[in-house]
Amino acid sequence: MSVIQTENISKKFGDFSALTDINLTIDEGELFGLCGPNGAGKTTLLRILTGQLVPSEGHASVLGTDPVKEPVGVKRIMGIVPEVESPPSYLTAYEFLYFVSKVRKIEASEGKIRKWMDFFDLTENEGVVCRDLSKGNRQKLMLAGAFMHEPRVLFLDEPLINLDPLYQRKVKDYLSGYVRNGGTIFMCTHLLEMAEKICSSVAIISGGSIIVREDIDRLLGEFGSLENAFISLVGERGSR
Amino acid sequence: MMEFTRLFLREEFRMHTYYTNPRMFLVFPFIVCMFSFGVALTSDRILADTTLDDVMLLLHVSVFLYGLSVGAFGFMGREYVERQHGRRKYLVASPLTLPISFRKTFLGMYLRDVIFYVLLLLLPATLGLLFSVPLSGFRWTSVVLLFVAALVSFLIGISLSFFASVVYIRSHAAFVGVTVLIMGLFVAQVGFDAIPLTFLLPGLAMQHSLPPYSYTLTSELVLSALGGVVLIALFVAAAYALIPTRFSPLRPKTETRDLPRMFGKLSFARQYRGLLAKELVDLRRSGTVTKMFFSFVTPLLFLSFTAWFVRTGLAIPVGFNTVFYGAMVGFFGVILYSWLNNVDIMEYFETLPVPPTKVIKTKIIAFLMLTSWISLIFLLAISFLNDDMSLLWLAIPVMFVVSIYMVVMTAYLTGLRTNTFLFDANILVKFTVMSMLPDVCLVIISFTIDRSLFFASLGILVVCSVLILTTIILYKGIDDKWKRAAFTD
Repeated sequence: MSVIQTENISKKFGDFSALTDINLTIDEGELFGLCGPNGAGKTTLLRILTGQLVPSEGHASVLGTDPVKEPVGVKRIMGIVPEVESPPSYLTAYEFLYFVSKVRKIEASEGKIRKWMDFFDLTENEGVVCRDLSKGNRQKLMLAGAFMHEPRVLFLDEPLINLDPLYQRKVKDYLSGYVRNGGTIFMCTHLLEMAEKICSSVAIISGGSIIVREDIDRLLGEFGSLENAFISLVGERGSR
Repeated sequence: MMEFTRLFLREEFRMHTYYTNPRMFLVFPFIVCMFSFGVALTSDRILADTTLDDVMLLLHVSVFLYGLSVGAFGFMGREYVERQHGRRKYLVASPLTLPISFRKTFLGMYLRDVIFYVLLLLLPATLGLLFSVPLSGFRWTSVVLLFVAALVSFLIGISLSFFASVVYIRSHAAFVGVTVLIMGLFVAQVGFDAIPLTFLLPGLAMQHSLPPYSYTLTSELVLSALGGVVLIALFVAAAYALIPTRFSPLRPKTETRDLPRMFGKLSFARQYRGLLAKELVDLRRSGTVTKMFFSFVTPLLFLSFTAWFVRTGLAIPVGFNTVFYGAMVGFFGVILYSWLNNVDIMEYFETLPVPPTKVIKTKIIAFLMLTSWISLIFLLAISFLNDDMSLLWLAIPVMFVVSIYMVVMTAYLTGLRTNTFLFDANILVKFTVMSMLPDVCLVIISFTIDRSLFFASLGILVVCSVLILTTIILYKGIDDKWKRAAFTD
């Protein structure tokens, strides 16, 4: 069953074409990694699929919900971790998760808040206002806020970038377990080694177009590593 | 330094025009120019009722306050340097990564603000006066010299603000001390006439030695000009010396669980409960509630002082009754809505199922909760002091209707970016018409209460009914207009 579908999605900012004819289908239980050079359009596509941006052309659906027609509804069924870790400055770590639980109307929220505070070892900092937390701890909070309501689909933009190796491992394990249990993940990342280890499928985007979209095993079979695939495909395109 | 200041100016211009059309932004100085042109053409009438001394006093005090209000970027120093404004980073934070000092970047910001705000308001206003020369009969030399004197008042305001805000970075207690000292000087002048005002405002002293007061170069002019320059140089030099070489991180701030407690108290807010609880906690912890209190109370006190000055100082028999104050209090509420949109970044809302329209409406509720009691207390106090409590039954509904109308209208026109959109001339014109029209009507009607309370009440009822209807239409219109607004840049 497909969870995420896009049909000819294009996005223009003035004269600049950020995305051109993106066609993707991502199935249930897939951990999909979107890789590409800086400014290739990864975050733009993620923002369209999460209802934050309206495409110039094309259609998209996430679990049957159109993010253009229902930008709020689509956020109810997903968890989002944005590119910049930016929890509200003046709430404490605990209060941010409490706030998320109230906005998302999560039942038995106290137990869930406690679970994720413990998971990310945030208990010691639960009274610290978010603006005074370290970047890594703010990122952990954003991840906890996205996981807490146990959505069926997650949209993650560079989820591991500020985490130390211990928590990178912990989050990777969680994400692998999440897809094994039927969850679906759409992840933008530059960390090719990580994508190689945990993604079941990968697309490489360059200049606003998908240049390859394959199962990870097939791609590794052809190029040996995701890094080789990236350099030869993106480099080839750049030299044209 | 010049190249650096140019970059700062570009940054400031792009910041103001990010959400609006740059051409529309440039219309703002044009409107200022036309406004001063209009004032110049009606100057005969103004001077028939008011003395030149009073006009000059008002002008220099206004320009000084304008400078004071735009030069306080130092208050934001730590914010600029330590944390990203969402995706934004400002040039002032360059010393964190480049071999340049904070002194240089802060001085660059000071110069940027001087140039930017002179070009935005002071220069266009002067051009308006110059264009009126063939019709108003002003001498162009007088206009140019007026600009120079006003520039000194502006520079003293902005430099003092720069100095005080840098003191704030160093020590909050020292900042309070400086503020008390400056306020003490002005109280000594206004209350006891212990210090000549021209001593505090050398620009005004210069004015008194320039045309049309004097056509010769006097020692007073040289002394006051010198006094002005020395004062400006002292403020800037002291601020420059006090700018920190580095910003050491503050001790992390810890708080108790206020949000759940606040959430528990707000059951009446129903679907807005969670957002409203967060808004109120944010306001308290960010210190915005104090800033809002003073930025609301200050114009109210200024209004009371002006009304008192017109009635007793200038002996103009204008009937400033309680209904007049009711209408004006509502008008000032717009300043507070603007503050509510500047408490914090809102990027995290992009990850939550919250429409921007719900956030806007939450801010309107927060506004009403925060301002209603201040407005009411002010109105009760002013009516008691003026021995005019018999009109409270009419003034209180007027105040509430105008307050709600003003905030809903501002929210409708500017959404979550009030400060930015009010610089868009197109929106500014709509805002001016939609705010001035009902207020002028109410003020004029309030002046007729002495003649016929019945007909005045009827007129007020009609205006308030129109305002209530418009408020309902605009409130509903917020959904359509802002449903697709972004929380991020």
